[in-house]
Amino acid sequence: MKTRTVVLFAVVAGLSAAAGVTYYMGSPGGGAAMAPDSVVERVLSARVADVKGGTQSLEQWRGQVLVVNYWATWCAPCREEIPGFVRLQERYGSRGLQFVGIAIDQPDKVAEFASEFRINYPLLLGGLETIELLRQAGNRAGVLPYTLVIDRKGNLVGRELGGLKEAKLERIIQPLL
Amino acid sequence: MLSGFARAAEPELLEPEKAFRFAARLKDARSIEVIYQIAPGYYLYRDKFRFTLGPAGVKPGEPHFPAGKKHRDEFFGEVETYRNSLSVLLPFDLGDTGVPAIQLAAESQGCADIGVCYVPYEHKAELRLASLSSGATRSDAASGVLSGMGLETDDARVARVFEGGFWLAIASFFGFGLLLSFTPCVLPMVPILSSVIVGTGRPVTKARGFLLAAVYVLGMAMTYAVAGVTAGLSGALLSVVLQNPWVLGAFAAVFVALALAMFGFYELQLPVALQSRLADASNQFHGGHTAGMFVMGVLSALILGPCVAAPLAGALLYIGQSRDVVLGGSALFAMALGMGVPLLAIGASAGALMPKAGPWMETVKRFFGTLLLGVAIYLVSPFIPVSVQMGLWAALLIVTAIYLRAIDSLPAGAHGFQRFSKGIGIVALIAGLAYLVGALSGGRDILQPLSGLRVTALGTAPYEAPFQRINSSSELDDRIQAAPGRTVMLDFYADWCVSCKEMERYTFSDERVQARFREMTLLQADVTANNAEHTALLRRFRLFGPPGIVFFDREGREIQGLRVIGFQPADRFVAVLDQALNFRR
Repeated sequence: MKTRTVVLFAVVAGLSAAAGVTYYMGSPGGGAAMAPDSVVERVLSARVADVKGGTQSLEQWRGQVLVVNYWATWCAPCREEIPGFVRLQERYGSRGLQFVGIAIDQPDKVAEFASEFRINYPLLLGGLETIELLRQAGNRAGVLPYTLVIDRKGNLVGRELGGLKEAKLERIIQPLL
Repeated sequence: MLSGFARAAEPELLEPEKAFRFAARLKDARSIEVIYQIAPGYYLYRDKFRFTLGPAGVKPGEPHFPAGKKHRDEFFGEVETYRNSLSVLLPFDLGDTGVPAIQLAAESQGCADIGVCYVPYEHKAELRLASLSSGATRSDAASGVLSGMGLETDDARVARVFEGGFWLAIASFFGFGLLLSFTPCVLPMVPILSSVIVGTGRPVTKARGFLLAAVYVLGMAMTYAVAGVTAGLSGALLSVVLQNPWVLGAFAAVFVALALAMFGFYELQLPVALQSRLADASNQFHGGHTAGMFVMGVLSALILGPCVAAPLAGALLYIGQSRDVVLGGSALFAMALGMGVPLLAIGASAGALMPKAGPWMETVKRFFGTLLLGVAIYLVSPFIPVSVQMGLWAALLIVTAIYLRAIDSLPAGAHGFQRFSKGIGIVALIAGLAYLVGALSGGRDILQPLSGLRVTALGTAPYEAPFQRINSSSELDDRIQAAPGRTVMLDFYADWCVSCKEMERYTFSDERVQARFREMTLLQADVTANNAEHTALLRRFRLFGPPGIVFFDREGREIQGLRVIGFQPADRFVAVLDQALNFRR
């Protein structure tokens, strides 16, 4: 009788503790980032609006060295890094480097910015689902700028949070070309 | 390679709802006060605020902003930003709508000093006009348009509960309390309660057991209700107090003390004078013992408070904002009743579930002592590094395992309970060893204690880089001046900083890195002690703490944008060093 009670007690307490732990673990914040491969697949397969009102998929650039830059015109650190991207696209475009900018912004602002800075790579328009994708890709606070570097085989070689210096990016992409 | 990138320089960033905390309340019949609490190192742009009011017909006036900090931005021209806290006054015109409530949507946009920006974020709040006389408003700190799919915090989840009516809120809080009763926080109350009920010496009937438990729960519930009312009166202050490291640390100490009492290191008793007074009282009239139970309930609520701090803070936060005293008090009362349900069940089963006090109580007490220690670790875990947490868990689990005779052999005719307890002991032992290995190998994930091993497979001897130690900002300047024409690297280090140690072990030990180190002056600031000088030094570089590596060019000026924050593998670090060495302004 005594043993049975104690065992019963321990089991109940253990179960409650487990339930408690589960409850805490189930609270938000503990989510892990996606595996790199599935990040690439999600990024490449996502359909993103373009400035002309259609949608595009990044699938069309698979096989190239792809630099996907998430940015916005209202984001100062994003604007700072873009002239460097334009120069790199100019220099390495013929060797298979492809920049793609995905802006979390309004189409007219993006179009204006594109002509002012003579952007020589495609600019697309992201939305809510883009931010969510960023969060899952490891950018948990969902901030800009965020840049992903994908090699020809579709491996995620770099994810950079915050402004990216031209020289640093150049050093990442050169061995991939 | 990939794991290297995943771990690379990603500074700790707050989620937008934590970086910019939002609240709104009706200031008077014609204006709303919108408040943002901005975390240090973050700021909001003045020209990015957008306020819209609903339903249709309610017109917002010109918002009144305090003066912000003005500076010239190379892209945006003159901009004004806000830090720390911001209170915006938004006048409104109801026209002839006669609506009972206004919906406020407040859009804001900000950035962090480390050079990233948050997407515009929309906070929503509903402000009830009818209850203006009592100052009540309702607000909802939950997510908005652009980040609507973001994760909700505990606080926000609780605050959302209030969107429904009064009774819905009460019912939700009761349910919430029930859920909380399954957390390890409430369990420690079980032995206290049962020992009081069982240990009275008188035969306990089910009815009396239930009554005593009910009085106890009532005491607990009243305390929470008082907390709710206080929160309603004092604003959001209470929840801030409850999440303060010192308060949580103090409560952790209380839990450790309680645990030691459970292990029988000393006897936890009320002062003799008080005890005899209580005994006299209970001899004189029947309610005496009941009063004692009530006091116990009050005390245990105080002890448990911080353990349930996260949900409680959410509730208090909301109540503080709404200043709705009745709702606040009732909701927390209901929550405490929910938490008390299992205790009532134990009380009611006084005859059945609780045999006479005996040796078995010792086992249960030790079990709960262990739980109490666990709760203490849990309480302080937000403020101590993961490796220390792992060490503590390891110690707790391993010692527990030894007490459960995990490594003693079972006697031949061992009965079920002994086998069961040895089984539990072995599980605890293995888990404890895993944590110990995790703590020693620099594991960083409390849920995956051994994850640190994945990168440690190729163990190399730690390499001592020829760093000169500095301790203050002026010392730094002296050393930089003493090294004219040399590139200087300043590494921020602390004993608890896991990635600093990884850098030392895997990156600084690389021959290519060492070759470049020989060409530069290496400084290291050990900020483990975190004194005022250290804080000033960190602030000078706008760092919150290690890890962080800063470079200075040959003229002694910081090379902007070339910082290394977090672990970097040797390949990439060599590239950074080259850049620093070749830097020409």
